[in-house]
Amino acid sequence: MDQRPFALGLLVAALLVAVLETGAASAGSAPAEAGAPGRRQEARRTVEVVMRDNAFEPASIQVRAGETVRFVVGNRGEVVHEFNIGTPAMHEAHRREMQQMMEHGMLTATGMNRNAVHGSHSEMAHDDPNSVLLEPGKSGEIIWRFPRGGTLEFACNVPGHSESGMVGRISFAR
Amino acid sequence: MRLVAGIALALAATLSVAPALAQRVDLTLEERTVNMNGTDRPAVTVNGQFPGPLIRLREGEEAVIRVTNRLDRSSSIHWHGLILPAAMDGAPGFSPGFMHGIGPGETFEYRFPVVQSGTYWYHAHNLDHEQRGLYAPIVIDKREAEPFRYDREHVVQLSEWTDERPLRVLQNLKRDPGYYNWNRRTLVDLIRDLNRAPDGEARRAIIRDRVDWGNMRMDPTDIADVTGATFRYLVNGFRPEAPGTLLFRPGERVRLRLINSGAMTYFDVRIPGLKMTVVQADGNNIQPVVVDELRVAVAETYDVIVEPREDRQYQILAEPMDRTGWARTRLATRMDAPVEPLPPHRPRPVLTMADMMMNPGPTGLDRGTPLPERDQPGHVAPMGGMDHGSMAGMDHGQMQGQAAAPAGQAMDHAAMGHGSMNHAAMGHGSMDHAAMGHGAPAQAGAHGPGTPATTTAGGMQAHAGHGGMAMSDPVVHDTGAPPGARVLSYRDLRQLRPDPESRPYDRIIEVRLTGNMERYIWSMNGNEFWRAQPIVARLGERLRIRFINETMMNHPMHLHGMWMVPDLGNGAFNPRKHVVNIKPATTLDVDVIVDAEGDWAFHCHLLYHMESGMMRIFRVARDGAPVASAQQPRQAVMPAGHNH
Repeated sequence: MDQRPFALGLLVAALLVAVLETGAASAGSAPAEAGAPGRRQEARRTVEVVMRDNAFEPASIQVRAGETVRFVVGNRGEVVHEFNIGTPAMHEAHRREMQQMMEHGMLTATGMNRNAVHGSHSEMAHDDPNSVLLEPGKSGEIIWRFPRGGTLEFACNVPGHSESGMVGRISFAR
Repeated sequence: MRLVAGIALALAATLSVAPALAQRVDLTLEERTVNMNGTDRPAVTVNGQFPGPLIRLREGEEAVIRVTNRLDRSSSIHWHGLILPAAMDGAPGFSPGFMHGIGPGETFEYRFPVVQSGTYWYHAHNLDHEQRGLYAPIVIDKREAEPFRYDREHVVQLSEWTDERPLRVLQNLKRDPGYYNWNRRTLVDLIRDLNRAPDGEARRAIIRDRVDWGNMRMDPTDIADVTGATFRYLVNGFRPEAPGTLLFRPGERVRLRLINSGAMTYFDVRIPGLKMTVVQADGNNIQPVVVDELRVAVAETYDVIVEPREDRQYQILAEPMDRTGWARTRLATRMDAPVEPLPPHRPRPVLTMADMMMNPGPTGLDRGTPLPERDQPGHVAPMGGMDHGSMAGMDHGQMQGQAAAPAGQAMDHAAMGHGSMNHAAMGHGSMDHAAMGHGAPAQAGAHGPGTPATTTAGGMQAHAGHGGMAMSDPVVHDTGAPPGARVLSYRDLRQLRPDPESRPYDRIIEVRLTGNMERYIWSMNGNEFWRAQPIVARLGERLRIRFINETMMNHPMHLHGMWMVPDLGNGAFNPRKHVVNIKPATTLDVDVIVDAEGDWAFHCHLLYHMESGMMRIFRVARDGAPVASAQQPRQAVMPAGHNH
């Protein structure tokens, strides 16, 4: 088990910066049907999300059509977790990526493996703007502008986690 | 009936809010007839039920279970996988104050704190009563929230039934170990193989192979020694022709508690159309892993979560490893759903010599240390220039690469080209030298005329090269799954959280799994139970058991009262198990967290193997009997029955 908490912390921080920086510029690989990165000043509401092994609190989230929400996400579990906003199909695709990252040793139970990330598979670095990957004890945030409607879920796509219940529905209030 | 009992107990558990409150259960053992194959046969029932009623407990409470024996023989109930005081373990001949079990007409009160949660089971600790139905699930609810969510749960208890008296089955095996083997390879097979062989060298290889098999006193089709020739395979007591129904509503997340209560049968479990997310192994939470199939060794339990989304029936198929029948149940949206046909069987695996390469054949006591259960294996006198020191550095993790190689089941020896083997490609670094070297003397005599005898390490390697590409991985199962399907392996089992007890082991002992199939004798380190000394461990130590399976059968090794931690290269995340399967001809290191004083049973959970001698007393002593360590000189004392 390759554990370098300090280095990993830096990496996660770097990823977060990447999330925030690229956030305003583009939606990255997230299709528009899931929404887009939002601007801080547009976010009138903050939702706190607690991640445990393996569950989200709250278990479901309600938003208004077109609303921009700031999510403050904390990992209170003892293994790595992700908070990811997307359609079921996006989650499905991302789960496959995460599975590959696990198989290549880039992702371990407790965090990202820096050496492996900087190796030949760097295109698989975990830096999509619609998600935040957090080591145990860490927290981060996403500012997200939701679309007018659609079928959306928030999920942890670390292999096995959403399958064992770490997934919640995002419903749209009228 | 069982469901109702389960619900009643669940209610009782819910009502007992105060954690110290006792959970009281009364069980009565009695004989009743069941009719599985058109004839009334005597089953052993619990509260009139076959299999017995589910017991539902809650972590933190005290369990008080009164068992009344209305059978004509002494019996017992052992709480499989539960951590409890030795006197409450229910193993006659081991547990203090329980030497003769529960006599006819007697009532025994078990009383123990419930210190764990998850899926377990209970059963009689004797072949006759357990095989005839004295087994049932135990579900222990966790005090805190589970690290996974589900809407509904079902127990899937796998087992077998035989119309024959179990002791009669054992007699038959003693008389002819192939008694239940329909698939034994015949002389006709041999002639057909020879006719198909392309040239003389290939034919010689086939003959050589046959001679080797003969010398090993085993039969290549012995995947299982008791088969569908006598067994009817059951799920929750139901035959596959008239399966039970597990209800669900589409979109629900369903937790299935898989329990293998078979006496002898390994089941390959799959649910066509559904992925299974494994969340517990042997009652302990693991990092969830999504699979298409898993093999459940005898006495193991696995909890999986499935998400059936469609309004239809999903078959839960459990195919015995030897393919001689089916166990099945189904997930359905209504009780009266029509029974669907069973699929064709997967091809029956045929073991090859490759499965025997590393640990060739039972050789009695002519290898190993004089007291292998006490000595460090590093003290073994070197043979043939083998470097035993390198054993300590053996890394099972290195074996991972070999998982990608095709497993040896369909290997064609004739086509292998023995002359042109690439020894360099075999990865000797990861081989178990201990197992190889000592088998060498026996191997010398194991070759037919015209084959050079192999007495040196080099010779052994050449022999190993025969099946080099297909060297058995100690934990990967070839279930015949289609390409791309993911099959669970022990390597996928990682504790949810790092094990707080994780630390380097203090001491290694060697436990060779040995047997003589032709006489149906099974043993550990060449000694049957009644000839053997106890294995002595010191309270507080972490004892590494190096299991070396010299036979060509799987052995699900079970230790009562303490957790076993197989070293799968996952460090502090290596799983805690109560049963660790040791595949044929493989070596696996398993650490025991020695934290429970007393005498405990340690045995192969194949009941006919246990009954034939593959069992030991595992004695945990506070002060420590004289136990050899790396620093101490080796003891010269031989155990009784030693025939050097």
